[in-house]
Amino acid sequence: MRPLDWAVLAASLVVIVAYGIWRSRGSNTMESYLLAGKTMPWYAMALSIMATQASAITFISTTGQSYVDGMRFVQFYFGLPLAMVILSATAVPIFHRAKVYTAYEYLETRFDPKTRALASVIFLLQRGLSVGLTIYAPAIVLSVILGWRDSVTTVIMGCTVIVYTVLGGIKAVTWTDVQQMLIIFFGLVVSLVTVLALLPGDVGVVDALYLAGAAGRLNAVDTSFDLGNYNVWSGLIGGAFLALAYFGTDQSQVQRYLTGRSIGQSKLGLLFNAAAKVPMQFFILFIGAMVFVFYLFTQPPLLFQQVELQRIQAPEHRARYEPIATEYQAAFEARRQAALELVQTRRSGDDAGYQGAAGRYREAQRDLDEARRRGMQLVEETGGEQGFHDTNYIFLSFVTRYMPAGIVGLVIAVIFAAAMSSISGEINSLATVSVVDIYKRHVRKEATDRHYLMVSRLATAFWGAYAVAFAGWGKTLGSLIVAVNVVGSLFYGSLLGVFVLAFFFKRVGGNAAFAGMLAGEAAIFAAFRFTGISFLWYNVIGCVVVIAAALALSMGWPKAFPPPRKLTA
Amino acid sequence: MDAEQRGPRDEPPPFLKTWKRLYAAVLVYLALLIALFYWFTRHFS
Repeated sequence: MRPLDWAVLAASLVVIVAYGIWRSRGSNTMESYLLAGKTMPWYAMALSIMATQASAITFISTTGQSYVDGMRFVQFYFGLPLAMVILSATAVPIFHRAKVYTAYEYLETRFDPKTRALASVIFLLQRGLSVGLTIYAPAIVLSVILGWRDSVTTVIMGCTVIVYTVLGGIKAVTWTDVQQMLIIFFGLVVSLVTVLALLPGDVGVVDALYLAGAAGRLNAVDTSFDLGNYNVWSGLIGGAFLALAYFGTDQSQVQRYLTGRSIGQSKLGLLFNAAAKVPMQFFILFIGAMVFVFYLFTQPPLLFQQVELQRIQAPEHRARYEPIATEYQAAFEARRQAALELVQTRRSGDDAGYQGAAGRYREAQRDLDEARRRGMQLVEETGGEQGFHDTNYIFLSFVTRYMPAGIVGLVIAVIFAAAMSSISGEINSLATVSVVDIYKRHVRKEATDRHYLMVSRLATAFWGAYAVAFAGWGKTLGSLIVAVNVVGSLFYGSLLGVFVLAFFFKRVGGNAAFAGMLAGEAAIFAAFRFTGISFLWYNVIGCVVVIAAALALSMGWPKAFPPPRKLTA
Repeated sequence: MDAEQRGPRDEPPPFLKTWKRLYAAVLVYLALLIALFYWFTRHFS
């Protein structure tokens, strides 16, 4: 980081935070603090929905994911547009007409207080776990730049966000998201242009595409059916269920479109997300693939996490480090030569030469991956983090080393801004559920609006502190973008199931819905613990088990699991 | 359901006249994107 980068970073953050606080004026009632008085236009909701989902993790982890595993992760988002259409046609009108603060409030109207309470607790548990990871991701930024340990930067980052979040309400969060999403779009374009400009002069964009493709980094669509991996089927079916659950039952998203000034405005917000999200993720993954091509010609470090790399390079570990480093150097050189041959033979139309070079290129890539794996193993064996992985450091390491002055500051500012908006939105939604569904419903039913506003701010501070305490868990989870979605998938299926029951199965009552949710959670944890099924399918499993169990109980034991009172009256 | 329960009106979208048409347009767009990505994967691998 050079002085110009620090200046750009500082100026960006001050402007964003100041803008957010300025926008929060008038948020002095519970409804304005939690629902922005239902005044938001569709474009603000659309960009806020995207900004909340596209946190710092999106930048940091997705690009690294593409570098090590290719673009197959984009398939994860194929189900999202399907989910947006379904939610626009069903959940949006229902929630708007029910005039609720939270999605779970609707469950009491439809079922009973215990079903609402269980859904609220499940949300608080899973979002509380996820928000810890959301704080951990930007803390990585500071650790790479400053060479500090993640734990120190996690605490600093978390405390900053808590202060900002407690001060701002949902209106501030939403308008700040709009600003941040525009900066993110700009930052993405600048990042890709810069990566392509940094390629060697004799390697063009088309060459880069073939080089990335030959190494399996442009594997955007896989049509094979495999329950354990990303493919087009798990993306369309599992991804649709995950998106339905996330956007339809997760208060951090539902709260966004509850702020809409009309049903139509909320629908447009979701449909804009449907159109923009898949291309945006493709674009981000493509940047990671191009970073991979850049490192074909410029030797990457053995490990992208500088603190751990320096530790295994220390004299006491040198005897074990040096053979790995030598092997890594040789594999890089072999891959570079093969990559150049690949470019030349493709241009000359020498098919046999191209196939030979491609074989050597892939073999060198395997050797390089093996040397990196041994390097990570050395970190673990010499007292480092167990399950150490450096995927989340790849893009940042590239940005800080090779991007020009000013652009580095801009990219880091974008990452910080995205992180802060996501965290503040998540903490805001956690506080909303804690206050509306737990405190106001079960602890203190009658109090002044001023009292509930104060409790909302206190709840926001509590959830921020909880997230900081939980953030350390993120270190052991490999790719953070995957970790966040795995945690969500452990809980979303049963939440989705109970809302499907609420919307479409009018004869199912509260007892059956409650028991169905418990059965759904049991099924998801059994799948997680005892099978190798990809997390994308947990949502399908949970949802189907909730519905099947509730229907079976309603039909098999109608006295113990009666239909709703409106039907029995 | 009475008028109070129905709450805000569901106005038509600003383009394509009906929500059903807009939903169909989103789904066609998704199919085209997947086809394009499939070609991209096959062509460069």
